[in-house]
Amino acid sequence: MTDMLKIGGRLALICAVAALCLGAVNAVTEPKIDAARVEKLQNALAQVSPGGTIGEEVLVDDAVVESYYKLDDNGKTIGYILNLKGSGYGGDLIILAGFLSDGTLYNTVLMEDDETPGLGKEAEKASYMKKYLGFSGSNIPSAKSQLDQTEADAISGASITFTGIGKALEAGSVYVTEMEGK
Amino acid sequence: MTYVGIIITFVFINNFILSQFMGLCPFIGVSKNVESAVGMGFAVTFVMSIAALATWAIQNLILVPLHIEFLQTITFILMIAALVQFVEMFVQKSSPSLYKALGIYLPLITTNCAVLGIALIAVRSNYNALESFVAGISAGLGFLLAIVLMSTIREKLDSEWIPKPFRGTPIAFITGGLMALAFMAFDKALLNNLIG
Amino acid sequence: MFKEFSKGLIKENPVFVLALGLCPALGVTSKVVNALGMGAGVIFVLIGSNIFVSLLKNFIPDKVRIPAYIVIIASFVTVVEMMMEAFLPSLYDALGVFVPLIVVNCVILGRAEAFANKNGVGASILDALGMGIGFTLALVVIAFVREVLGSGSITLIGMGSWDGVIKIPGLYESPIRVFSLAAGALLVMGYLKALLAWSTDRKAVKK
Repeated sequence: MTDMLKIGGRLALICAVAALCLGAVNAVTEPKIDAARVEKLQNALAQVSPGGTIGEEVLVDDAVVESYYKLDDNGKTIGYILNLKGSGYGGDLIILAGFLSDGTLYNTVLMEDDETPGLGKEAEKASYMKKYLGFSGSNIPSAKSQLDQTEADAISGASITFTGIGKALEAGSVYVTEMEGK
Repeated sequence: MTYVGIIITFVFINNFILSQFMGLCPFIGVSKNVESAVGMGFAVTFVMSIAALATWAIQNLILVPLHIEFLQTITFILMIAALVQFVEMFVQKSSPSLYKALGIYLPLITTNCAVLGIALIAVRSNYNALESFVAGISAGLGFLLAIVLMSTIREKLDSEWIPKPFRGTPIAFITGGLMALAFMAFDKALLNNLIG
Repeated sequence: MFKEFSKGLIKENPVFVLALGLCPALGVTSKVVNALGMGAGVIFVLIGSNIFVSLLKNFIPDKVRIPAYIVIIASFVTVVEMMMEAFLPSLYDALGVFVPLIVVNCVILGRAEAFANKNGVGASILDALGMGIGFTLALVVIAFVREVLGSGSITLIGMGSWDGVIKIPGLYESPIRVFSLAAGALLVMGYLKALLAWSTDRKAVKK
């Protein structure tokens, strides 16, 4: 019995020391991780914003739109930044997209994805997203037939990612026009 | 995602061995004959389904309420090690014949990265309890499918002439590569067509 | 002493010869830089766990040594995970779930069980260094083949204005993409192992 206690006690001691050390490291790294996350979001917001002051994040209950930020220019709403969730090849795609108030896509970045390197992951590059910009509603390309030949070739092998982003952006654009219509 | 979607995803599309690179050690090591492959496959499926559920409980009932998510890795792996030990003792007492079939594979499962893998993936995908459990079973079945297919091919390979440097594990890896190539036909487009 | 270090490099290379730690060897090797990052993480964990297992070898009761080793290893892995997320977020994202999965890398538990609990601290550190560098070497070789063929580039650590990507003309424009996918990884591994077996065979014949 005492033997059991000794064994258990020593194992518990190792666990306790390990947990304490990890707590200490966590106290150092956690603020850094949070700061980096906030900075990444701020940079992305600034990048996709067509202008104006970025308002508070408003959470919404929608299949695609997770939340939005209103863009205010001296009391006039000039557009919205939407946090969109699309479905990609390897999992969910988290997309940040800035729209003008008529639903035209101004700029967009892919925040999180699980796509295949060399194929769907290409969407993380700003040059990839160019083909969606300047369109609104169903004109935002989500099928290969809506692209010209060179653009279509560039996404060959990764059409699921392309369609996933296109569909999410289209839903976002529709959401913006509906909000403005109210 | 629907339950059917989770099943198809983990059995075929994101098959743990053939597209996620998890559980390769037993896939190469325990696939020399069909019998042991089946045993290993079922043992892994069993542990994975319970582990996915148990780690869901740890994450959502202990770690998140107490804000100690940084202990995730350490608690998950200890949970899995304890679980494997417990399953081993339970099976030994309740069903000696099952123990005889699975017993030697059980200790190997603690260090099978597929088990910790499904636990981490289920948590990162924000699955609920039942979804985690279904994901665990499906990923296990995907493992079973891949390892059994592999073992039947390797039994056939035994009676074939193979260039000397390729004998043993090299040809096993190449066989696995060709299987993975075949499994690339199961992709997200298929899932979208099936369940919209 | 030097033998403890050098054996892990080629003769007992953990990936190619002992066939341990296969999951990360294939999972993170679509880019050379990821292989280097994973290798650095494994070396850190391996040295840390070998030191502590060696120091505590008389304190840890034999019956619960495996859980005790797992706790020690998992602690170091968590440290790597938190440090990487804080200081190298892009690498952390690229390695994904394979960072916490270092815990179940059989190389580490294997060295604790086979070497560190029988030997002194000095020898254990050398053993960890050798095995860790051998593991990294294997990963870099696999990643090199896969990235050159699969993406037509070699991604190293970017410094200053240089982003660290060497593009290979011809291949970069139309790479053989299958090599960056799972199927290509398994094929490359098979051919590399066959190549190794062939060269060992030839050496044996010459002698």
